[in-house]
Amino acid sequence: MSVLLDVKNLRVDLPTERGLLHAVRGIDFQVRRGEMLCLVGESGCGKSMTSLALMGLLPRKAQRSAEHIRFDGVDLQHLPEREMNALRGARMAMIFQEPMTSLNPSYTLGDQLCEALRAHRPATAAQARERAVYLLERAGVPQAADRLRQYPHQLSGGLRQRVMIAMALMCGPDLIIADEPTTALDVTIQAQILRLIRELQREFGTAVVFITHDLGVVARIADRVAVMYAGEIVETAPVAELFAHPSHPYTRGLLSCIPVRGKTLPGSRLQSIPGVVPSLIGPVSGCAFANRCTEVREACAQTPPQVWLDAQHAVRCVAAQPSHLEAAA
Amino acid sequence: MLIYIVRRLLVGLSVMLTVAVVSFMLLHLSGDLATAIAGAESSAADVEKVRVQYGLDRPMVAQFADWLGAAVRLDFGRSFYFQNTVMELVGERLPVTLKLGGIALLLAVIVAIPLGVLAAIYRDSWVDRLSLLVAVVGQAMPNFWFALSLILVFAVGLKWLPVAGNTSWQHFVLPAVALGYYAMPSLMRLTRAGMLDVLGSDYIRTARAKGLSPARVVFKHALRNAIIPVMALAAVELGFMLGGSVVIESVYSLQGLGQLAWDSISRNDYPVVQAVVLIIAVFYIGLTFVADVLNAALDPRMRTR
Amino acid sequence: MSSASLSLPLPTLPAWRRGLRRSLGHRGLVIGSVILALIALAALLAPWLSPHDPYAQDVTQRMIPPAWYAKGSWEHLLGTDKLGRDYLSRLLYGARVSLFIGLATALISGLIGTTMGVLAGYYGGRVDAVVSYIITTRLALPVVLVALATAALVGGSLKVVIVLLGLLLWDRFAIVTRSATQQLRDAEFIAAAKALGASTPYILLRELLPNLMSALTVVATLEMAHAILLEATLSFLGLGVQPPTPSWGLMVAEGKAYMFFQPWVIVIPGVVLAVLVLGINLVGDGLRDVTAPDGRN
Repeated sequence: MSVLLDVKNLRVDLPTERGLLHAVRGIDFQVRRGEMLCLVGESGCGKSMTSLALMGLLPRKAQRSAEHIRFDGVDLQHLPEREMNALRGARMAMIFQEPMTSLNPSYTLGDQLCEALRAHRPATAAQARERAVYLLERAGVPQAADRLRQYPHQLSGGLRQRVMIAMALMCGPDLIIADEPTTALDVTIQAQILRLIRELQREFGTAVVFITHDLGVVARIADRVAVMYAGEIVETAPVAELFAHPSHPYTRGLLSCIPVRGKTLPGSRLQSIPGVVPSLIGPVSGCAFANRCTEVREACAQTPPQVWLDAQHAVRCVAAQPSHLEAAA
Repeated sequence: MLIYIVRRLLVGLSVMLTVAVVSFMLLHLSGDLATAIAGAESSAADVEKVRVQYGLDRPMVAQFADWLGAAVRLDFGRSFYFQNTVMELVGERLPVTLKLGGIALLLAVIVAIPLGVLAAIYRDSWVDRLSLLVAVVGQAMPNFWFALSLILVFAVGLKWLPVAGNTSWQHFVLPAVALGYYAMPSLMRLTRAGMLDVLGSDYIRTARAKGLSPARVVFKHALRNAIIPVMALAAVELGFMLGGSVVIESVYSLQGLGQLAWDSISRNDYPVVQAVVLIIAVFYIGLTFVADVLNAALDPRMRTR
Repeated sequence: MSSASLSLPLPTLPAWRRGLRRSLGHRGLVIGSVILALIALAALLAPWLSPHDPYAQDVTQRMIPPAWYAKGSWEHLLGTDKLGRDYLSRLLYGARVSLFIGLATALISGLIGTTMGVLAGYYGGRVDAVVSYIITTRLALPVVLVALATAALVGGSLKVVIVLLGLLLWDRFAIVTRSATQQLRDAEFIAAAKALGASTPYILLRELLPNLMSALTVVATLEMAHAILLEATLSFLGLGVQPPTPSWGLMVAEGKAYMFFQPWVIVIPGVVLAVLVLGINLVGDGLRDVTAPDGRN
């Protein structure tokens, strides 16, 4: 599979009252055509900023820089705004977290769906409506044709999110960035939407960058995973490999927090990672996880290098040892 | 929705009634009308004659009932000064004032909305600061002084426009500017605030993510939601303008309703004064009603209920 | 251990210091306060600053232009009016009139409006319905017309203007205090006071009112400016302050007949009026910005 998105050394800085906030501190990752990459991390680790940086939707005050942000060979950084706008919605689409507020309350769903297509392709109103109905059906919205005339407030959260998904697919994009699309939904609906995204991704061959804080979601739908902490990607691996052989202490810590049926005894204390995320305002040096790490050592005062455990699995840690090698040794 | 309209209508009607009472009482209680009409130097006998002649010796409530009963039929009696009935006078002057108010509001809106939109998009830039400055200074100038200054500069100094009268459209330019400038700052600020609010919302982020052109994002998606309260305010401002036209019309000799009111006040022509106060209040109440309905109707949540 | 920077809580200043700092940082507020202070000072010191008696007429010195014109003189810095009275002196004394009217009106209308608003907000129910109805009716009245008509009947004068405007300009006070009281009505400190057996007047005056002060000050400044402009309008039309009392609006009226040839007679009082109102508005807006909870702007 060829590489669709290639990001190298992406940085996002935000000027705040108290100084410059380094929200994203030099991350590298790739997304291949048709693959589902999950970007997982806790609140504030920079994953949403990353998604906005890719789409070019950062707030005006934010400063973005990178070695390159290549989308299908084109470096998005140097693209004039008008061409970037042509890409957005057409070849790169985005789904947001809050379905209740992400649709314009004053226009019908049909209007908003069709404009997503007609802004980029020469389609007639009828053609656009046809495609909208088709996608709504595929997204599991009942009575799709009637929905076109309805307003967002007439739909539940789960349905609205399905509409958002359909809207993202209107132009048949190569890449969809989904920023925690299920977090604001009921648990039962969550599972449905996750399944839907997975199916549609397979069917349309769309690459997806799925942002979440929930490892359970990752286990269910990811092809590959990138773990973010404090503005950095600390570990990248195919999903099975990550769960089987987590190498970064943070990843290991995250996984150990999840209670496992059979292993975790009832009544026993749930694990947590001690300490807090350090402030990213002002200069940050060394490994950001060092103050909470169980395996910290002197070398951690320097920025940890990217270690490749194998062709697919990278870790940013001086203590990184391929754990299956460790076990064998 | 219908219930809402009916309820607002009833409130509006009762307020009109109260205004009628208030304006009636105002005139009849703040001094002896008979003396005022007859003149300060008249003898007591003359004053009595006037009192009887105009029915001022009857109980207040009866006087009010009579007046109100006639007013509902649009019969406000006869002017003391002119030979015509009050309605004839009003009918002559009202169109002038309405024209003036309409043009003034139009000018205010044409300047306020684009400025407000620009100020919101380029927040904290020089455009924003300049428009804020214009707004703040605009609201500090007394309208009569602004009106006179406009005359000095444009009619006398540059000789572009006429000084007084109401025959051609040029006669309305300066008065409309003088009347409308006061409404401009509040309309602009509301547009700016509304746009800032809306531009920060999630559905605007979605619109941008869809790759819509910036113009479309601003005008189709943002403005549509931000403009509703502005339109409502514009209707209310028009009401204020009708009330405040007194000064402007006097300065520019426009022979509109405001000037009629002013002249009548100076001449103690009370039937006219009473009628004009009531009529302007009625317009104001009507316009606020329109504003409320606008606010409600344009919110699609109300429409589909 | 790690050399990644840790976030330390910033030391905080006492609330009033923070308020002061924010006030000083707000450019509009500072400029407005300076303007207001200067004009107030000029008004207070008018007897000592005025080069002449503002009422002294001198027919030989009529219509002298300000000092920077060719025919002007330094004797009368801002020239004289049609009755030979020194313009600068009249301007300074006119400041007294404007400020006095602004303050007095704000006080009266503030008392009326606050009382109505607090009662409506606190008691709710029928009291609220009645007060809201009165407010709506008051809003429907064309203020300028009603003021003119009443002043014409009763006769214009400084006292009449103050009473009239005080009785007419209370609406915004009522609206703001009503909604603020409604919000505070269910606050804990009110419930605590009630539990301790405090009487209603006590609660309203000692617990509720102090919390309304910041909103009240903002409205008071705006209504003060409103009153000053209205008085100027009334005086301009001849139904406000009566000659020979110097009122800026009156000075514009008196100069109107000559404005085509001697524009300064109307430009000068108009400009000072605008500057005063500007200053008051800046202070009002600035106070509103500074006292509003963060994130509102």
